[in-house]
Amino acid sequence: MRVMIAEDSVLLREGIARLLIETGWDVAATCESADELLALVPRQEPDVVILDIRLPPSYTDEGMRAALTLRQQRPELGVLVLSQYVEVQLAMRLLAGAAGGVGYLLKDRIRNVRDFLESVRRVALGGSAIDPQIVSELITKRRHGDRLSRLTTREREVLALMAEGRSNQGIADECHINLRSVEKNVSSVFAKLDLPTDATDSKRVLAVLLYLRG
Amino acid sequence: MRRRDASGHRRADGTGLVALSRRQTVATAAAGSAVGISLFVLALGADDLSRPGYRAALACWVTLPYIFTGMVAWRRRPESRLGRLMVAAGFGTVPNFLVWSDNDFLFTVGVATQFLPPALYLHLFLAFPSGRLSHALDRVIVATAYGAAALAVPALMLGLEAPRSTLTVIELPEAAERLLQIQLAVLSSCLLAGVVLLVFRRLRSGSVRPAIAWLVDSFSLALLATAVLLMAGLFGWSIDEPVRVVTFIAMGLAPIVFLAGLLQARLDQTSVTEFLNRVGANPGPYELQRAVASALRDPTAEVVYWLPEFACYGDADGSRVELPQEPARGMTPILRELEPVAMLLHDPALADEREPLSSVAIATGLVIENARLQVQLTARLEELKGSRARLVDAEQRGRQALERDLHDGAQQRLVGLSLKLGQLGDDLRNDPDLRSRLEEAINDVAASLSELRDLAHGIYPAAVRDHGLSVAIESLTTRASVPVRLSVSDRRWPEKIELTACCIVAESLTNITKHAQASAVVVELAPDDVGLVVEISDDGVGGATTEGGTGLRGLADRVEAIGGRLQVDSPPGNGTRVRAELPCAS
Repeated sequence: MRVMIAEDSVLLREGIARLLIETGWDVAATCESADELLALVPRQEPDVVILDIRLPPSYTDEGMRAALTLRQQRPELGVLVLSQYVEVQLAMRLLAGAAGGVGYLLKDRIRNVRDFLESVRRVALGGSAIDPQIVSELITKRRHGDRLSRLTTREREVLALMAEGRSNQGIADECHINLRSVEKNVSSVFAKLDLPTDATDSKRVLAVLLYLRG
Repeated sequence: MRRRDASGHRRADGTGLVALSRRQTVATAAAGSAVGISLFVLALGADDLSRPGYRAALACWVTLPYIFTGMVAWRRRPESRLGRLMVAAGFGTVPNFLVWSDNDFLFTVGVATQFLPPALYLHLFLAFPSGRLSHALDRVIVATAYGAAALAVPALMLGLEAPRSTLTVIELPEAAERLLQIQLAVLSSCLLAGVVLLVFRRLRSGSVRPAIAWLVDSFSLALLATAVLLMAGLFGWSIDEPVRVVTFIAMGLAPIVFLAGLLQARLDQTSVTEFLNRVGANPGPYELQRAVASALRDPTAEVVYWLPEFACYGDADGSRVELPQEPARGMTPILRELEPVAMLLHDPALADEREPLSSVAIATGLVIENARLQVQLTARLEELKGSRARLVDAEQRGRQALERDLHDGAQQRLVGLSLKLGQLGDDLRNDPDLRSRLEEAINDVAASLSELRDLAHGIYPAAVRDHGLSVAIESLTTRASVPVRLSVSDRRWPEKIELTACCIVAESLTNITKHAQASAVVVELAPDDVGLVVEISDDGVGGATTEGGTGLRGLADRVEAIGGRLQVDSPPGNGTRVRAELPCAS
């Protein structure tokens, strides 16, 4: 699969590129700014782009705006945003709209190479990857006197992984339980929280986050 | 007529001009009356003068008002030379009536001076109200007019009015006629130039002066009429008697209007006394301002104060003022105990009336101290506010730079390092011991990164600048330990306001977590007329205060530094409400 990287720090840009090449990715192009990225995407036709939320020239929200533009113009393209800080509202903005893959992770997550590669792959295939910190903040906030307190520990664990964008198989692998058991927990969570049960993998992330955000 | 005798007072304004004494006044009045009688005697005694009484009356009408009003002006307003000039013009007009005389010598004197009156009138009009010709152009025009009037003498020598003329040297009637025409042309041109000058000056000054000044100007029409009469003589136009009469009437009224103009300034002088009564002993800068403007009848008049510590002038608000360029504005220094302490800025046209201006300046100097101290204090406060705002700005910029350095430097490097370490781990699959030590190192780096992230955020909440208040504050309220109902729009504000608002919400939520024992919090950020209003209310124990070394005091300082206001309403047992108004303009 083809990937593009937009990151102004050479160190990180080259580091991520090497990591992806070594694990069999086709790194179509790397660049330093959002403008370059937007110009290169139509030519390179990548499956996923990884971009820093802070990019030149003003180093404020150029990356964010480029991500939203790509989401709108190329719904089939996976967009993974890396950031020094994560904000609930930005996650919601990224998730809204297009059905295609989207990710929003702290830069630190790169250190866990296996998880990071898994996230890139998931986003490339149209899934989601939401930073665990956002999910845990939302769950913590929601715990006070809420339906959430009716969930079992396992159900809460499953809820968090769902919110991060994991598939049922991904949850099964993470929790070391079988797929059927995951499905049982998932439908129990949906019932207890009164969420629509027909949600597909990508839609349920948004549904769960919206619920948690309140 | 000497200007000084035992009773004449030397004026204090340094011009050295002296009022007409009583004795001189009586002498002048007697001379004036003698002139009037002589004119009648002259006219009635003439052999071939038609309607002599009417002629004599007209002659009196254009001479006596100048002499008598000039006398009054000289007595009342000695600092203006206009009075003396009027008296001189009155007497100067008399000799030309000697043409009525049967005596050849007197007749010749009359012809020689026949064009002196228009030159005198021109001089007078251009010299109002100071009595001086203050511009070089005026002096040139007036001198030319006198020169043209004097051409009558050579014309007489060339045989004008021969054989009666006693000055005839050679009879060249054509040359004499040509000289007469030149005389008329030059004189009427001078009069027209004078009218143009007067009109142009009035229009250009655009000043807001008493109506009397307009009346005076309107009498410059008399000059125009005289010019027309002269040109009629030149081109042989037939002019109806009524035009002549109207011109004469206007000429006789002019000195009365001049006197009124001068006495108006006299009224201004009494308004100085009123001014002192009105402002009282210690007027503030605004009262002083109003009183000065009203005493000078110049709504644009302004007092600006010298601020020695800032080495500049400041207005009543304490704001820095650059002195305007003369002659666009008039400037008169205000002295206090001989030291210049302020400057009076006014309509430049006021400089024509030196007396009321200097009286107001002197009177202002007497009562200015309180206003001056107030303005200095205000200026100092403004400076203090400004320096506090600059300090806050500088601190903000410093923090921003530090955050940027952390982000671009240490944080990026650590992320890169953890990436390299992670890849290394894959190569160490066969050495579990080394691998677990490596994972420990990776976790240490992760912990450092996390701490560094918190530190960077504490130093400068970059998310606010990058994505706005709504994004940053949602995270703050999400992380709060108490449920928060949040109301905020996506609207962006100036960076200073967004950072301060974010800081207020963060600090308030921290306080609520630590002290309030609240179960619900409402955070509201809403625009109002002047800027952004931030309000955080909880249902906790209350009793919070901005006194003492609390975080709330620091918040209040930050809010005040950007020109805003922080209110804390926290009755014990009844919750706390923190409300900050952050003005957008600052």
